[in-house]
Amino acid sequence: MPDTIDQPQRGNKIGFWFFRMFLRFGGLYAAYFLLYGVTLHYWLFDTKAVKTASAYLKRRFPLDSKITIRFKVYKLFYSQGRQLIDRIAKISGAIDFVFNFVDMDMLNQLASSKKGYILLTAHAGNWQLAMTELEQFDKKISLVMRSENNEAVKKALNINTTDDKFGIISPEEHLGGVVPVIKELNDGNIVSYMGDRSYGFESLNVNFMGDKANFPYGAFAIAAATKVPVVIALASKIGFKTYKVDFTNIINPEYKSRKNKKNQLSEWVQEYADILNDFFEEYPYQCFLFHDVWEKNKT
Amino acid sequence: MSDKQSLEQIKAQLKEELIENLSLEDIEPEDIKDDEVLFGDGSIGLDSLDAVEIVVFLQRIWGIEIQNMEEGREILVSIDTMADHIYANA
Repeated sequence: MPDTIDQPQRGNKIGFWFFRMFLRFGGLYAAYFLLYGVTLHYWLFDTKAVKTASAYLKRRFPLDSKITIRFKVYKLFYSQGRQLIDRIAKISGAIDFVFNFVDMDMLNQLASSKKGYILLTAHAGNWQLAMTELEQFDKKISLVMRSENNEAVKKALNINTTDDKFGIISPEEHLGGVVPVIKELNDGNIVSYMGDRSYGFESLNVNFMGDKANFPYGAFAIAAATKVPVVIALASKIGFKTYKVDFTNIINPEYKSRKNKKNQLSEWVQEYADILNDFFEEYPYQCFLFHDVWEKNKT
Repeated sequence: MSDKQSLEQIKAQLKEELIENLSLEDIEPEDIKDDEVLFGDGSIGLDSLDAVEIVVFLQRIWGIEIQNMEEGREILVSIDTMADHIYANA
């Protein structure tokens, strides 16, 4: 249940088969109902996921007691399960979802620009669904991620390896894969990074939910060097079959001086952390970090 | 470049560009050896983010676009390898 797109998948084939059957014969309500029991299993036995979820929840709800946080962990797991089911439903074509884009004009503008851009995602809401919606804009999207995550990602985004709409760039390649990243941006395409995982790039300490947290700065360094914007992708579930897709948070990194680049990078990373913070303020149960970004010296 | 520069001139200019674009403090052009591996644990010790700056300035100043990872692996090694590529292609 508390999987994210780039983490090892929990659950098994039989489990997913049950969800597909419930979806097919009972629709979303039936699949969501089945989820109550499955969530309970993870809530009781997946101590690692409970611990990392609690790291977030105790900062989001600092006045809550431990027992209340424990119950909120269940709510968070259940919320993520619903969004996983939505992805299965969307990809299988079983259910049509409604996507309300916050500013379609801005997306059209970005799509028609000859310049590429960096799409910065996070373990917030259902960004995978938002990304599948970008297909309509006719720009290739390259996802920067480790090879061990490829299969999970391909499944989640329904990527066909023969299709040239999606590509994968491994940060484990020579010099973090910067050569193909710059090539894609030069060609006017989209390169997508997870903003809350370092993937070989170094991270910086910024304020996040009242505490110091580690976030990588590689995407901003590449954007500043290549002079492309960083577009933050956020997709929140706002109704039973409705998502709000927001690409309006755009950061344009530009070095003011060649000195102290890390300080300048830190400003942009902080801006990104603030955007995430606001998102989690509004949608507290759509934070699927499941990773203690506040833990010292870890990303 | 209207007048083709010599290999030695390219190397000298590359070292100055490296120092300026990467803000390498306390390093003079003569401190960088032509055949020294620039990335990793060497005395210069550049990282992947420095590589981004190098790829961009090779394109901006020299008009060199590195096409793929294999090419990058051959070119982004030392002053010698970058200068050879510029000399042959710019």
